[in-house]
Amino acid sequence: MREQSARYFFLIMIPAFVLLTLFLYYPIIQGTVIAFQKYTLFDMTNTPFIGFDNFKAIFTDINFNFGQIMLNTLIWVCVSLALQFVLGFILALLMQKPFRGRGIYSSLVFYPWALSGFAIGLVWAWIFNGQFGLVNDILLRLGLISNPVGFLSNPSYAMASVIVANIWYGVPFFAIMLLAALQSVPAELMEAGKIDGAGPLRRLFSITIPYIKPTIISTTLLRTMWIMNFPDIIYAMTGGGPSNSTNILATQMINKILKFYDYGQGSAFGVVIMVLLFTYALLYLRLTSGKEETF
Amino acid sequence: MLKRSLLMLVVLTLLVSATVSANTITLNFLEVMTSPERTALLRDLIAEYEAMNPSIKINLISPPYEQADQKATLMLNTNQDLDLIEIRDYSVKQFVNNKKLTDLTPYYEAWSEAETLTPVAIAAAKTVDDTPYWVPQAIFIKALYARTDVLAEYGITEMPETVEELIEICRQITDPSKNQYGFAWRGKGATMKFGDLFASVCVDDVANSEFIYSEDETFFLDPGFKQGMEAYITLFKEGTPPDGINWGFNEQVNGFVSGTTPFLIQDPDAIPLINNLLGEDKYEVVPLPVGPHDFTLIDYGFCGMGIPSYSKHKEEAWNFIQWISSAEKNGYFNEHWGPLPVHRTTFDINEHFQGKHYQAYRYEMANPDTFLLKTYPLASAKWPGWDVVYETDVQSVLLGRMTLDQMLQKWTDYWTK
Amino acid sequence: MKLLLRTLKVLLLGLFLVVALGPLYWVIVTSLKGGQEIYTFPIRYWPSEVTFENYKYLFRISDFSIYFKNSLLISLLASAGALLISVFSGYALSRIRSRRPKLILLLGMYFTQIIPTYMLMSPLFISLAKIGMTDSLIAITFVYVSMMIAFSTIMAKSFFDRIPVALEEVAMTDGCTRTQTIVKVVLPLTLPGLAAIFSFAFVNIWNELFLAVMLLSSNHNMTVPVALNSFISKAGVNWGVLSAGIVVALLPTMLVFAFAQRYIIMGLTEGAVKG
Repeated sequence: MREQSARYFFLIMIPAFVLLTLFLYYPIIQGTVIAFQKYTLFDMTNTPFIGFDNFKAIFTDINFNFGQIMLNTLIWVCVSLALQFVLGFILALLMQKPFRGRGIYSSLVFYPWALSGFAIGLVWAWIFNGQFGLVNDILLRLGLISNPVGFLSNPSYAMASVIVANIWYGVPFFAIMLLAALQSVPAELMEAGKIDGAGPLRRLFSITIPYIKPTIISTTLLRTMWIMNFPDIIYAMTGGGPSNSTNILATQMINKILKFYDYGQGSAFGVVIMVLLFTYALLYLRLTSGKEETF
Repeated sequence: MLKRSLLMLVVLTLLVSATVSANTITLNFLEVMTSPERTALLRDLIAEYEAMNPSIKINLISPPYEQADQKATLMLNTNQDLDLIEIRDYSVKQFVNNKKLTDLTPYYEAWSEAETLTPVAIAAAKTVDDTPYWVPQAIFIKALYARTDVLAEYGITEMPETVEELIEICRQITDPSKNQYGFAWRGKGATMKFGDLFASVCVDDVANSEFIYSEDETFFLDPGFKQGMEAYITLFKEGTPPDGINWGFNEQVNGFVSGTTPFLIQDPDAIPLINNLLGEDKYEVVPLPVGPHDFTLIDYGFCGMGIPSYSKHKEEAWNFIQWISSAEKNGYFNEHWGPLPVHRTTFDINEHFQGKHYQAYRYEMANPDTFLLKTYPLASAKWPGWDVVYETDVQSVLLGRMTLDQMLQKWTDYWTK
Repeated sequence: MKLLLRTLKVLLLGLFLVVALGPLYWVIVTSLKGGQEIYTFPIRYWPSEVTFENYKYLFRISDFSIYFKNSLLISLLASAGALLISVFSGYALSRIRSRRPKLILLLGMYFTQIIPTYMLMSPLFISLAKIGMTDSLIAITFVYVSMMIAFSTIMAKSFFDRIPVALEEVAMTDGCTRTQTIVKVVLPLTLPGLAAIFSFAFVNIWNELFLAVMLLSSNHNMTVPVALNSFISKAGVNWGVLSAGIVVALLPTMLVFAFAQRYIIMGLTEGAVKG
């Protein structure tokens, strides 16, 4: 029986892996090979292998400091993720108990996730516009500032602005996933906690969170990968500027491909991203695994 | 009897339509300067052409502007079915390098209207290897736009003729507390085309060089260039909204239309847009102000049509190009799109281009000793990334993260490395 | 005290809603403004003259209805395809007991998420070009399904993990085949999860831009995001029409979302698992 089951399981996974191999694994191997070639649109008849030269070039690029790009990437991912998660969790907790109009409320409050990254980038760029933007208008009217602030033209504010847009986008994802997970916490467990005298906060941290830990882990891991590979918002809002201050690995990769026409270096950036995410995933899962099966 | 002849008629019609469709040739046409209005315009022209040539069908492919060059490159390099391809200044050298364009010299020789092309258009066509690989369709050159009504409020009625005067006026009228500034800065996208109008014009042997940057290894270290950049930076600090460091086309136009920045340097395709947003009468277009050596640089951006080297329908493709590039059709096209047509004769026959806002451009093209026609080294391998490097570095200097001298040295290293 | 907490809760909920809806309100208002009004300062929060010219332009000058139809078709088909495939692969991943293969397969799924899409662009295009499918709605549907499989499978697995194996064993000893068990016993219990998977896939595919630009060419094959992006040209962004486009493009995704998340928050019923 078990033998047959095992065979059945592997069999039904075939369609998935066939498609993945055809459209993802195979092309990505080809893409990775490009990272080791001199591959520019300028001269595509000539694509010799140049070993690690592309990587050397991007690490030592004097025009786009790699260290700065890495720092930006780190800030972008960590701050976005942390705030999205916390805010999403809060929203999920607020919505946990049914209330009148909850259905309509959820249809409305979750919609940012339904927008495309590029649309979000453009809209928020307009909202943060230093001359005609919504935020400036509100702040001016409230008397909090006397001159419009250049949110996207000031390196100190630019990163914060793109992160705000990203958070706005990502909160619904966590809210929905965590809400679904929260619904699955058995009522008896909560009751038992109350009987034991645990207050709401205690119940939250000792009962609820451990129970939904698998969901927390998988959603944060996935979202981290997506944030890293999702430069659309930044690209539409600032293009990586001003002065490299919002440039992350993924946006620089796009830059290399679309503006410099250099697929070799672009792919090299892609390889760096993949290596980083892979390492991160391994470490993250190792650390959060513990004894329970978290998969 | 009737039935029989009816049947015959049906069979005949079927046969005829079968042969006609069997003989229908479909040309695939890729445009890259896509915008909804322009695509609609092209479709109208194509429909007109198809009506005149029933055996030809043209399939227009219009990827969005931002990704169009990528798409064009991918398609050409994998020999996708294409017979007509739109080319722009940025992608020219690349296509020729990869041997994807047909040399159109023999076609030009047989083309009667080739001689009425403006000098700019001819220069554009021969950018690579002095060989015409395409037929230019539109020319983009810059001029100075000024909000006469706003400037009048400050008592300014004479338009600046030198760069110095322009900067001076901008500084004069700038008052941050009233949200009044002078110049619509370009901070994002093709920024060198604006900066060089202030910097390169200060280097007097640019007049004799082939490109806007002379081939001299120390070009960027020339004291004239440095002075020009300093003036440009002053313009930013004292005559432009600080937010301008990030401004693209949209924000420039917004600033101009709202009156915040009454001076704007732009291509002629801004005219229809500004007319729509502002109306025709509140502004004037004047020739670009000249630098300290009494010249300025007209970098002519262009786009044109070429035939892929592997196309199977070159004759038919050329016929279409010839038709759409005629003085009349080209005039019609550019009239509705905005930029300048490519034939001298169009200016005489087309009323639109006799309008007041175009006179500045005509003046510039008619006085090549003051308005020097020069372009960038488009054929150099260093060219593709220059846009981003220039933009990022200027932003760094404006933000105080790099000194001007550091930047100039960096640029020298970039081009000579 | 309780009243204080309740008011706080209502306030917070309200705040979330205002922040979420604010930008949407802004987009809608912009789409109803005429050309001259969009760039005024100080900002007008309601058009002095409501006009539908942007929407008319959308459907007249650009073939938005065609693009809409294409997007709808592709998104529905690809989401359904991804759901179907991931139900089975998610189930398998959940039920496989041997640790090693399970880990490897799962990592294989996660691995696809670290792939930057831009790296795939050139190889995919070249491969599809070789078989002449570079302007094909069918080809791109397959590509989209592949893109969605990993996430869908991972999510499906987590939903199946919550259904006890005991339930299936009961059904199978009662005479059902495994496939029948999945369809008749397990799936009905995971409906909220399936709704979630479908809606996430739908939204992602509907909004996908870059691959659509590269892998589709002809006008009659274009999708909505590509159309929206084409309102950005050399002459900048046409804000009025773009806003109108964003509003129209948002409708299907909002609908799918609204419909699906009702299931999601209803949650899994614990009832079926008792006893």
